[in-house]
Amino acid sequence: MKKRLQHRRLFWLAGLLAAAFAGLGYRLVDLQVLRHEELASEARSNTEREILLEPRRGDILDSKGNLLATSLFVKTVCADPSLMIGHSAEVAGVLAGPLGMPREELEQRLGRWLRRNQKGETVTNRYVVLKRKVAPEDWEKARIALAGLLVAPDPDRPAKAQAEALRILREKSVFVEAIDDQQRFYPNQGLAAHVLGYVSMTEPGTNGPPIIGTAGVEGIERSFNAKLAGARGWRVTEADRQRREQISLREQDVQARDGCNVVLTIDSVIQHIVETALAEAMERHSPISISGLVVRPRTGEILALATLPSFDPNHPGAAPPDARRNRIITDVAEPGSTFKIVVISGALNERVARLGDAFDCEHGRFFYAGRVLHDHGSYDTLSVEGIVTKSSNIGAAKIGIKLGPEGVYEYIRRYGFGGPTGIPLPGEVGGIVHPVKSWSKVSIAQLPMGHGVAVTRLQMTMAMCAIANQGLLMRPMLVDRLEDARHEVIARYSPQPVRRVISEAAARDMVQALKTVTGPDGTAPKAALEHYSVAGKTGTAQKVENGAYVRGKYFSSFIGFFPSGAPELCVSITMDEPRRGYYGGQTAAPVFKEIAERAANYLNIRPDLDETGPGPLSPPLKTAALRPEPPR
Amino acid sequence: MARNRKSQPAAIRFGPALKAFLLCLLIGGSGVGYVWQKDQIARLGQKIRVGETALDRARDENEKLRKQLAAMRSPAFLEARIRQLDLGLAAPAPAKIWRLPEPAGEPAPPAGPGQYVARSPDAAALGEGPR
Repeated sequence: MKKRLQHRRLFWLAGLLAAAFAGLGYRLVDLQVLRHEELASEARSNTEREILLEPRRGDILDSKGNLLATSLFVKTVCADPSLMIGHSAEVAGVLAGPLGMPREELEQRLGRWLRRNQKGETVTNRYVVLKRKVAPEDWEKARIALAGLLVAPDPDRPAKAQAEALRILREKSVFVEAIDDQQRFYPNQGLAAHVLGYVSMTEPGTNGPPIIGTAGVEGIERSFNAKLAGARGWRVTEADRQRREQISLREQDVQARDGCNVVLTIDSVIQHIVETALAEAMERHSPISISGLVVRPRTGEILALATLPSFDPNHPGAAPPDARRNRIITDVAEPGSTFKIVVISGALNERVARLGDAFDCEHGRFFYAGRVLHDHGSYDTLSVEGIVTKSSNIGAAKIGIKLGPEGVYEYIRRYGFGGPTGIPLPGEVGGIVHPVKSWSKVSIAQLPMGHGVAVTRLQMTMAMCAIANQGLLMRPMLVDRLEDARHEVIARYSPQPVRRVISEAAARDMVQALKTVTGPDGTAPKAALEHYSVAGKTGTAQKVENGAYVRGKYFSSFIGFFPSGAPELCVSITMDEPRRGYYGGQTAAPVFKEIAERAANYLNIRPDLDETGPGPLSPPLKTAALRPEPPR
Repeated sequence: MARNRKSQPAAIRFGPALKAFLLCLLIGGSGVGYVWQKDQIARLGQKIRVGETALDRARDENEKLRKQLAAMRSPAFLEARIRQLDLGLAAPAPAKIWRLPEPAGEPAPPAGPGQYVARSPDAAALGEGPR
């Protein structure tokens, strides 16, 4: 009997144990097999952290290594309004000073609000950005101020709960984003603003939470954005309960690759010279805009590119859109008389005219295809050189007629008009060049004087550079090289010839004619330099509005290079609607002179004239002494 | 027939005790070593964290100084300082620059044996010396 009872008890015990083990086994299978994926990812998310490492955006430097744009890491300060528990005013009070924000605005942002989500649940806001681009030292001040925050005690709540709430308020309610933001800084403020461009915040697509990044919007910042941006790194690691990283448990640690430094051909001193001279001319003549370009004709390197009105890339939003536009490459206009170099050099190249050939300039009135062409003076007969010296429209028209429509069109295209020059800046336009079949009867006479064609200021300057460079057209060069963070060269850009436009002999003849422009009988004696022989051309083009020429509104320009025998620099000045004078020789030529003198001095360019006047210093640079008396 | 355990001498029972002790020592030592190693890893992790923070701070400081230097080297700032300090600095006029003619190339060394030409005795022996 006793034995049976023992057996029964043993049986029940074994049954219970078996059931318990079966339950445990089921639980084990449930946790380890059936819910494995879900629980494993939950366990991972409790400890594992993926941290993105932001690369530093590369710098932009001038040709001498001076910093034009750099980046600083800054913080994005955020808050969790749900932790404010009625103390948002006190928190706003301590943060207002370090963050440099009005207390009222901060208090408003820290305010708590409720909304219904898609599931119909009432939720509150738990994340708000208080301020972006906060310097690390300012965040440190804010953190210290927050650590000393004092709030009035609440008699209705237990002291322990209040202390815990205060601790959370001080330590967790305000925080910074895990990934640092970057602030672009331009130490020279507005210097070369249209070349550098500016950046703005973007949200590049990532698999994780949204991240605010920096991307170029204009200028080099935009066209070289991929090189400047660098590549993000990442770190997979584990954190403890206090969210402190356990460095020993780092699994992956791939460092970010910083962006390349872009070294420009721009020289900040010459850029400053140009911008100063343009600003003075802006005061003198009050044009709508004024532009200046300094180019090395032999290589196409752009040493300075400026247009006013300008803007400060540190605060691009403060300037109107018109001021942010790089008019040198985005705006087109009829070039006026500077365009005569295209047709006349073409005629010299084709040998349909020589420098000494005389053309009847009809005493200033020329009837052609039912229209009357005018000169600003009454000229009888002028040589080709004299046509350039006096900038005779009628003479240029007759040379164009002699060259023929196909010839004129061919040289317009050869000089690169009608297509972008290839400068590495966004927004460049190609201008307007109509094909011969679209020309009217009078086009052949109008084009040589720069009417019926629309060009950019850069195109016109590069055309003049081609003449200075013995007929070889160069691609404008703005970037010299790319460097890594240790200033080791990654890629170097070399000068690129586009094509030979005219022969060396034709270019020499053209230079000889252009030298007379700055002589006493030319249209730009104010562009003449004391120590250098200058070759150049003035331009004064009536503006077109609503398809008709407008009286009293002009584009005035002067493009010249020096020393004319071995050109080192080509300087181009263009004004849109200048007042107090409108001829290029009156308005733009003095600006050219000021820039050329200072730039030559800074670059220590060897003079080719002595200080007393046209006396050569050395045989290879003997140019001014050969200056012929212009034909009258 | 098995001998009575109680009759075994103490010296014979010391062996298993020593083995047990050594086993315990090994297990205990391994445990202490493991904990010590973990502690060292944690300490090194903290040191790395402190080092990384210091490096970041130094980088930030460096960037800030670079930015300050760039601002102070800008042409506009320098011009303003020159005016402010009334230094009267200006670029020299081209006429005030003396340009020296380029020197001619280095004179060629004398072809024959000069008084300062060293001769090795081997060269003379091989008949390669100057005649």
